[in-house]
Amino acid sequence: MSTIRRTWKINGKTVAVRFPAGRRLLDVLREDLGLIGSKESCGEGECGACTVIVNDEPVVSCILPAGQLADGTEILTVEGIEKKRVGRLIQQAFIEVGAVQCGFCIPGMVVSSYALLCKNPKPSTKAIREGLAGNLCRCTGYTKIIAAVKLAASRIPAAKRT
Amino acid sequence: MKITEKIDVRFPRTLAEALRLQAGEQTRGKLLAGGTDLMVQWAAGVPAPERATSVWNLPELSAIEMAPDAIEIGAGVTHAFLRDCVQIRRHLPALVAAAATVGAAQIQSRGTLGGNAANASPAGDTAPALLVTGGSVVLASLSGRREVPLDRFWIDYRKIDARPDEIIVAFRLPPKGRAKERFRKIGTRRAQAISKVMAASRILVEKGRIVSAAIALGSVAPTPVRLAQVEAFLVGKKLSPKLIDEAEQLAQATVAPIADIRSSAEYRRWASGRLVRDALEHL
Ligand SMILES: Cc1cc2nc3c(=O)[nH]c(=O)nc-3n(C[C@H](O)[C@H](O)[C@H](O)COP(=O)(O)OP(=O)(O)OC[C@H]3O[C@@H](n4cnc5c(N)ncnc54)[C@H](O)[C@@H]3O)c2cc1C
Ligand code: FES
Ligand code: FES
Repeated sequence: MSTIRRTWKINGKTVAVRFPAGRRLLDVLREDLGLIGSKESCGEGECGACTVIVNDEPVVSCILPAGQLADGTEILTVEGIEKKRVGRLIQQAFIEVGAVQCGFCIPGMVVSSYALLCKNPKPSTKAIREGLAGNLCRCTGYTKIIAAVKLAASRIPAAKRT
Repeated sequence: MKITEKIDVRFPRTLAEALRLQAGEQTRGKLLAGGTDLMVQWAAGVPAPERATSVWNLPELSAIEMAPDAIEIGAGVTHAFLRDCVQIRRHLPALVAAAATVGAAQIQSRGTLGGNAANASPAGDTAPALLVTGGSVVLASLSGRREVPLDRFWIDYRKIDARPDEIIVAFRLPPKGRAKERFRKIGTRRAQAISKVMAASRILVEKGRIVSAAIALGSVAPTPVRLAQVEAFLVGKKLSPKLIDEAEQLAQATVAPIADIRSSAEYRRWASGRLVRDALEHL
């Protein structure tokens, strides 16, 4: 089986990786790079627990053949989002609102919320629901998660929205 | 080892390189675009192939060309791109609406128009919207290019008119002009749900009379279908509540859906009529 090499920018750092040609991005992140914030739940693209951001678009890493990401691709995981201003606002809002129960879906929720707020810093409830439609939560019933995203959005200063 | 790691995936950088791989039986691989259908199928136990050829991000599959008679959309264009592209929305609103209902944001970032069409699921959301344009598919192989009209492209359940050495490069889609387009999808919930039934339409009304009508449904037959009988019935007639009633009934009488895990045959038949009504009520 052929092994391939790629050099990506993960959470702002240049990282060189080697992996089997058919490996999933989620396995490269979790097993090869130790970035275990992204979770695997369904493994079939349905639940969003493994969501990461690739070149500014949210993707589910459990069905993404890693070799398709060319050299220079920018990947942002929940570990990198935690260090971003808007990422911290999201994290803080989830804690304050009490939007977390078992927590398994939360990394994916945070990543999708971040992708949403980068594109639309003042989303309506409908836009939040749509932005998080690819993320399933079996515990909370979503109400508090949506409230947390609203709270985070309300704290984004008008001039500094990334 | 995860199942997909047993597959020898090749990553050609140009269409020419990909076509060379696909030309030989020993080098040919399952074409892999965004993988949002294939990776799921393999994870769910569909036997993985020995080889795959990635067509993700091939520059020749990513182009959009706007000509007056047809908009050419590369097979590798993603649903997210279509969803956000204002110019395409102006000319092909049903297609853009369909792309915006595929899965959710994460799936739209990766799922491609070519993959949706080639996967040839009767529930593929973009198919009815492609069909009502009256456009065609452009296929390439080492022996050249050929164009297949979309209404002959889906030949049977999960079967398309493409040879094993061919790659879909683009869709050539006539813009709607003065006609009105509409797309409606009925699923279990609004997001991330596979359709029970969906409809696309492109209808031109002038001075109260229907000049041309294209209506297509998905998930009511082994392939996406145009409702030729309903279309023929409508053309030339004055739009009226009575005409809409009759078109609804005719649509219900012409479709022959099956029951499966997502819906019953009766519901699909009823909903087909309602979707035709919905298209006509929004002209
Ligand atoms: C969670 C989830 C939700 C989904 N929801 C929807 C939905 O609501 N509606 C819907 O329609 N679909 C849905 N899908 C299915 C899928 O996302 C779409 O069909 C998507 O457009 C497939 O595109 P892809 O590029 O990922 O295809 P791939 O998985 O890469 O390929 C699909 C098929 O197309 C072939 N192929 C790909 N590119 C070419 C080419 N250029 N030439 C010839 N053959 C080619 C492949 O060989 C394969 O047979 C969903 C999938 C998931 C995981
Ligand atoms: S684990 Fe990837 S979507 Fe569920
Ligand atoms: S908090 Fe448990 S799945 Fe969301």
